[in-house]
Amino acid sequence: MSVNKTAAGLTLAASLLIGAAAGAQEPGITDKAIKIGIFGPLSGPNMAYGFDVVNAAKMYYDKINKEGGIHGRKIEYVVEDDRCNANDLVAAVKKLVEQENVFMLNGGSCSAAVVAAKDYVVRNKVPYLMLNASGDGALFPPTDYIFGAYSISQYAVGGAMVEFAAKQFGAKNVAYINHDDAYGAWNLEGSKKDAEVNGVKLSVESINPGINDVTAPFLKVRAANPDAILLVTYARPAALLIKKAAEMGFNKPIILSVTGTASLNQLAENVGKDALKNFYTQEVMIDSPGGAKLKPIYDMYKAAYPDLAAKPDHPQTYMPYGIPPAMSLVKALKDAGPNPTREKVLAALKTQDFDSGVMAGRMQFGPQQRAANRSTIFIKYDGTTMAPLPGVFTSRWTYQAK
Amino acid sequence: MAAFAPPPFPDLSIGPDMDLQLALIFLQQGIASGLVSGSVYALLALAIVVIFKTSDVPNFAQGEVFMAAGYVALYLFVFQKMPIWVVLPATLVVAFLAMALFRRFVLDQVAKSAKDLVYLVIATLGLSYVLKGFVRRTGFGDTPRSFPALVPTDSIMIGQASVTMLDLAIFGTAVTVMAAFFWMFNYTKTGRAMRAVGMNPKAAQLVGVDLRRCHMLIWGLSGVISAIAALLISPKILMTADMGSIVMLAFAAAIVGGFSSLPGAVVGGFVIGIVENMVGLFISSRAIVLAPFLAILIVLVLRPQGLFGGKLTIKKV
Repeated sequence: MSVNKTAAGLTLAASLLIGAAAGAQEPGITDKAIKIGIFGPLSGPNMAYGFDVVNAAKMYYDKINKEGGIHGRKIEYVVEDDRCNANDLVAAVKKLVEQENVFMLNGGSCSAAVVAAKDYVVRNKVPYLMLNASGDGALFPPTDYIFGAYSISQYAVGGAMVEFAAKQFGAKNVAYINHDDAYGAWNLEGSKKDAEVNGVKLSVESINPGINDVTAPFLKVRAANPDAILLVTYARPAALLIKKAAEMGFNKPIILSVTGTASLNQLAENVGKDALKNFYTQEVMIDSPGGAKLKPIYDMYKAAYPDLAAKPDHPQTYMPYGIPPAMSLVKALKDAGPNPTREKVLAALKTQDFDSGVMAGRMQFGPQQRAANRSTIFIKYDGTTMAPLPGVFTSRWTYQAK
Repeated sequence: MAAFAPPPFPDLSIGPDMDLQLALIFLQQGIASGLVSGSVYALLALAIVVIFKTSDVPNFAQGEVFMAAGYVALYLFVFQKMPIWVVLPATLVVAFLAMALFRRFVLDQVAKSAKDLVYLVIATLGLSYVLKGFVRRTGFGDTPRSFPALVPTDSIMIGQASVTMLDLAIFGTAVTVMAAFFWMFNYTKTGRAMRAVGMNPKAAQLVGVDLRRCHMLIWGLSGVISAIAALLISPKILMTADMGSIVMLAFAAAIVGGFSSLPGAVVGGFVIGIVENMVGLFISSRAIVLAPFLAILIVLVLRPQGLFGGKLTIKKV
């Protein structure tokens, strides 16, 4: 009996010691693997914003694993569906951190949803790299743990559009239609700096994203007699405004933000080709979707997902956006050295600066900079062909602590 | 009829010093566009009121019925490439049957097992979730789509307001449907039976009205009206699985007009359409979404029974 008691005591002590040692170790790291948590909208109405973005990130990690991994460790990923919904996203993040014990997070395609995870991530000190969400509300004021806007920051979207209108068309009076929410406020704030520098007057109309009749905002914009109209809205209001512009004979340039459509073909179907005679769309990649400069990414997708690639509308427009955040994560892990800790990875991220070969600008972070990309290109689209225009347009907005 | 080629508008701030000419253009355009969108709100309000009058149930699925009917038409016309002369009647028949059968096999059962009307209202909420979920599951609702306009979308000028041929078709069709509905309600045996059911169902039953059949007809007709509204407005507002939220404007129209009045629903629809535009043009684009609620508030304060709600009655409890 006493022997049994001694053995049990020794076993308990050993277990506690092992547990303590394991507790001291970084979560999600073993000698052979680094566990990361990926999340994005894999179902639901906003699936088009992230389903293939998640696929792109996965295929990049698979490629790294085939090449030997990072300092001998393979990347092991766990994927959760956040449905672009704040509650689902926070639940996914908690599950990945608390149940799956991931080392770091890489996810989110919708800005409003990712902002909801900010407090939890910062409180738990988990390195969090967004996928294609701009998530400006989570990026600024900067924290030590959240990095994003690999597609582009909303602060930068509007500013780059103003820059394009001023440089390309010599516009001095620009109509600017954005959403009447935080998302709209972010891009308008970014635009003001570029408008000031370029001597551009902005005539702003802020609309509800659910608006059905756009007559009033369009007529007011029309009355301001602008040299160009910038539409910084989601797909539906953007299409309604483009149709209304055609109905009202507006023939000056209409410039649509990157957030304004997930499919240019669908936009042409919705508004009709006649409405796209003087139409330009913003793109944050180095080329138009499917363009020659992005061919290696599309080839990689076809090899990784032959079944999906054979389906119509696949890969989805935003697919390549998944590559830069995955590259950033891999680079930070490499830079952190053979014995990575969360703090080492975070330190590496804060000085990260690389060219993804996918996005229009470099992925650059800094002491106060948590938005990786601030540059865009513009494409002339006539309803049939996409013609990328020369030049990269970058917003001047930088975060200023208040 | 010349294409819309507005003069170079003066650069004026919108405010007290607004140029009179510009204000007149805004006024004309606001009324013209408000009548077009208002005609669709009016149709949906009519569908809501006709059910409420005869069943005492506000149908909270009316917006989703409208949305689902639009997707049925889209599926048949765009994805199945069926001819429009098949698509239009097929959509109306599907909407009629779906609503009539919902009344017969869901609401009648709910009414049998639970006497309280609130359970019927909950059942309509259930229908709204089912329809929205179904459309989302099909995948067609993932991206905004346009149901092809069946008439040209060229613009013409009426006074200083620009409207499209499609706008005129929407307005004309909506008014014709409403007129046909009033004619049926007032001058046909079936319509009179429906009115009798609305006034006193027990008395109507005593004089030989088949209540079950009448309710099925009414719910079916409300589905047809919603489907017509969807076919009319879908080329203009773009289709998404959330497009049924437009029903809030129809409820606003019904409240403004008087929830028990069919003509009130129609007038309320036009009022909401015009108020939306006027608020957007003369106050702020941000305030457009508040306009219907503002209209409801004003009407409830000044005339709680609505513009055509008749004499205000107070029930003793």
